[in-house]
Amino acid sequence: MNKLLGPALTLPAVTFIAVGFVLPVLILLSEAVTVNGAFSLSPLIGFFRDPGSVEVFWRTIRLSGLVTLTSAVVGYATALAIVDSSPSARGRLIGTLILPLMVSPVARTYAWVVVLGRTGLVNLVVVGLGLSPEPLRLLFTETAVFIGLVQLLLPLMVLSLVSALENIPADVVPAARVLGAGWFTTFFKVTLPLTREGLVIGGTLVFTGALTAYITPAILGGSKVLMLETLLYQRIRVTNDIAAAGVIAIILVVLSITANVLLKRVAGGRSQ
Amino acid sequence: MSDPRYLALDNLTLAYGGSVAVQDLSLTVKQGELIALLGPSGCGKTTTMRAIAGLMPVAGGTVTLAGRDLTHLAPNKRGIGLVFQSYALFPHLSVEDNVAFGLKLKGVPAAERAARVKNALARVDLAHLADRLPKALSGGQQQRVALARSIVVEPGLLLLDEPLSNLDARLRLEMRSELARLQRELGITMIYVTHDQAEALALADRIVVMRAGKIEQQGTPEEIYERPVSSFVARFMGFENCFALEEHKLVGAGGVLPAPAGASSAGLAWRPRGVQLGSGPHQGEVLGASYQGQSVEYLIQSAAGPIKAEADSSAPRHAVGATVAFDLPLSSAAPLTSVD
Amino acid sequence: MMPRWLRWAILALVMIFLIGPFFVIAAAALHGGETLAFPPKDLTLKWVWKVFEVESFRASFGLSILLAIGGTALALVLGVPAAYALDRFRPKGSEAIRLMVTAPIIVPGIIVGLALLRYLVIPVDLPMIAALFVAHTALLIPYAVRVVSASLANLRVDIEEAAVLLGCSRIGAFVRVTLPNIKSGIFAAFILGFVTSFNQVPISLFLAGPGVSTLPIDMLWFMEFTYDPSVAALSALLALMSMAVVLVAERLLGFSRYV
Repeated sequence: MNKLLGPALTLPAVTFIAVGFVLPVLILLSEAVTVNGAFSLSPLIGFFRDPGSVEVFWRTIRLSGLVTLTSAVVGYATALAIVDSSPSARGRLIGTLILPLMVSPVARTYAWVVVLGRTGLVNLVVVGLGLSPEPLRLLFTETAVFIGLVQLLLPLMVLSLVSALENIPADVVPAARVLGAGWFTTFFKVTLPLTREGLVIGGTLVFTGALTAYITPAILGGSKVLMLETLLYQRIRVTNDIAAAGVIAIILVVLSITANVLLKRVAGGRSQ
Repeated sequence: MSDPRYLALDNLTLAYGGSVAVQDLSLTVKQGELIALLGPSGCGKTTTMRAIAGLMPVAGGTVTLAGRDLTHLAPNKRGIGLVFQSYALFPHLSVEDNVAFGLKLKGVPAAERAARVKNALARVDLAHLADRLPKALSGGQQQRVALARSIVVEPGLLLLDEPLSNLDARLRLEMRSELARLQRELGITMIYVTHDQAEALALADRIVVMRAGKIEQQGTPEEIYERPVSSFVARFMGFENCFALEEHKLVGAGGVLPAPAGASSAGLAWRPRGVQLGSGPHQGEVLGASYQGQSVEYLIQSAAGPIKAEADSSAPRHAVGATVAFDLPLSSAAPLTSVD
Repeated sequence: MMPRWLRWAILALVMIFLIGPFFVIAAAALHGGETLAFPPKDLTLKWVWKVFEVESFRASFGLSILLAIGGTALALVLGVPAAYALDRFRPKGSEAIRLMVTAPIIVPGIIVGLALLRYLVIPVDLPMIAALFVAHTALLIPYAVRVVSASLANLRVDIEEAAVLLGCSRIGAFVRVTLPNIKSGIFAAFILGFVTSFNQVPISLFLAGPGVSTLPIDMLWFMEFTYDPSVAALSALLALMSMAVVLVAERLLGFSRYV
C-alpha cells in the first residue's frame, strides 16, 4: 500500500506542473531550434549575427556579473557587520533585509525613478551644490539599471552570507587570532574559505536574478538599455518575432540552468 | 631563578553582557607553574582566561606577562597559547596545516616549519594522521591536534579551557597524564581551567578556587584538599557534611547537634569517610544505603539534618530503617573560617 | 570583532541604500505639483486618493488578490501531499520529482507566460484568467513544497507512529498529529506564496490584456504614460501593504525562520 501511496500523493502536483508548465515551455524552446519542422540552429545563429542582439546579450552578462561582484563585496561587509552585532540587533537587521524582498519590484524600482530623475534627489543635490550646470541624465542608462539591480538583489547575498558566517564553528576565528593572525589574514585564510559555499549560493541567486530581471531593466533602462528579457518582450509585442523570442528563451534557460547546476555542484560537494 | 610574577593579574575587573563577571581579581603565576582555575560554571574562570588571552575586554586592572603590560593588546600580539574547549580546529585545513598555521604567520621558513610540525605531531603521537582533515578525527585526536597547534609556536604561557571535558572517562585519564608529562618536559607555564576537582588535584602545582568572580581560596592541592577554608571549597573537595559552629553546637540544615569538645572555628566539615559509624554519642535513622563496590554509602538522618557517611564493604552493614550510632570526631574534621 | 564605528557606518549606509528609496517614494507621493519631484512641495494627499479612484486599479487589485489567494491555496493543496510523500515515503524517482517540482523557479517567468499563451491559451481557447491562474499556481508549487518540506524535516517521524499505535488510522494520524505541527510552516508558505504571486510580473506579462491584468502590470502600463505623483502614491501603497502583511505574519509566527 505504501509503495503506491507515495507516488500517488505526488501525482497531482507533478501532473499539474507537467501540463501547465513543462510541456508548454518545452514546446516553446523547441520552436527556437525548428525551422519548417526540421531541427535547425539557424534561428540561434541568426540571433548572434545581429549586432544589436549580441550587444544585448553581452550587456546582460556583463551587468549581471558586475552586479554580482558588487553585491559580493558590499554583501560581505554587511554580513560581517551583522554577525558582529548583538543577537537582538541581528534579528532586527535581518528582518529589515527581508522586508524589501517582500515588496513588489515595481515599487522598489520606481523609487529610483524618483531619485535619479531630472527633478529627483540626486540632481537636486548635484545642481543645488553647483556640481553641474544642468541636471544629469541618469535614467535610462546602464548605471541606473545597475543600481536598481543591486538594490533588488543585495539582500539575497547578505542573507546567504550571514547564514554561512553563522555556521563557522564558534571558536575558530579567536583561535586564529590567538595563533597570531591579524584581521586581514584571519579573513582571507580562515573566514573566506569557510564561507565559500554561502558566497556561491548568494552569487548564483544574484547572478540569475540579474540575468532574468524584467521589471528593473524595463523601468530604468527602457528601450535604450535593453537586457535579454526586455528584448524578448519587445520582440514579441512589437515585431511578433516568435523565433527570436524562442532563441532568447533558450539562452536564458541555458544560462539559468548552468548557474543553478554549478551551484549544486559546489555547494553539494562540500555539504556535510 | 624563575620569575614569581611571570604572569600577574592585578585588580582585574571584567564585565560580560551587562553584569560584572570578575571583580577586582589579583593573582600571580610563577614561571613554569601549572595553575588550575577550579570552580563551578559561571564562576568566572573561563572569562578570566579569555581576558588573559585578549579575547575579552578588560574593564579595570591590568594583565602583565614577564613585565609586559598586555591589558589592551590585541590577542595576536601576546604570544599566549590557548587550547579551546571545542578545540576550534580549522575545518578546511589538514592536521599538518592546522599545526603549521601559527608558524607560517611568524614567518618561519618552510624547512624549519616542516621539522617543527613533525616534532610536535610526534610528541602527541599523531604523526601518522598529518594529512587528515579534522572531521575525520576522533575527539581525543582532535584534542591532541589542538594541543600540538598551540605548543609548536612555543608560547610564553599556555591556557587550556576545560580541554578534557568532551572526552570519555578513560580517555580523559590518559590525556591527563599526557598533559602533565608534556608540561614537565617543555617547562611551559600553564593555566588550566576546569570544574573537575580530581583533574585539578592531579595536575596542578597550585589550585585557585573561584566563586562568583572572586578567588575563594588558593594553595597547593594538599592545602585545598585537606584544609578548605570555607564550606564552598569544602563541599567542592568532597566534604559533604558542613556545619556552622555556634555555642558548642553544630548547626546544620535540619537542626543542631552537640559539637565535639575543643572546636573553636566558625565551622566544621567532615568527609563521608570521616564519619564514624557503629558507635558514638549521636543516633540517627538510616535513610539509605548504596553499595559502591569497595565501600557502602549511607544517608543518615541526624538531629542536624541528613549526614552522608561511608564505610568499607567489609564492615558490618546497617539496614535501611535501622537506628545507628555515629560520631563526628574532631580529629577528622576540617576547620572552616566561613560557612554559608 | 569589527570596530564599532565601522560596523555602524557599513550598516547605516547599506540600510539607507536599501530602505531609503521607500521613504523617497512615500514623500514623492505627497507632492502637490503635477509632475514627479523631490523633495515634495505643497504636501497633499490628492494623488493617494486618485489611486483609489482609478477603475482599472481596483479591478487589477482584485484580480491580483484572487490569484494570490487562489493560486497559493491550490499550490498548497497540490504541494503539501507531495512534500509529505517526498519526506515520509521517499518514492522511487524522488530526485526527479523534486527537480520537477522546483523547476518553475529556475525557468524565467517571462518564458512560462509566453509558452502558456501560445500552447495553452490559443489552441485550447483557455480564458486568460484561467491561464494566469495556472501560471501562478505552477510558480508557487516550488515555494509550497520547499517550505513545507523544511517543516516536515524538523518534525520527527515517530510521533505519527505513536499515534498509529494508539489506534489512529494513517490518515487520522496525519490530520491529528502531523498537520497541526506543520501548521505554522503551511502558514509561512501561504504568506510567502501570497506575496510572491502578488508581486509577480514576468509570468503575467503575456497573459494580461486590457480588462484582465494584475496590479503590478497595470502599474507598469500606467507608468508608461503618466508622469504625475500618482504612480509614486501607488508604489508607496503597495510597499506599505506588502510590509504590513509580512510584519503581521512575523508577529504571528516568527516568519523569518522559514525564508
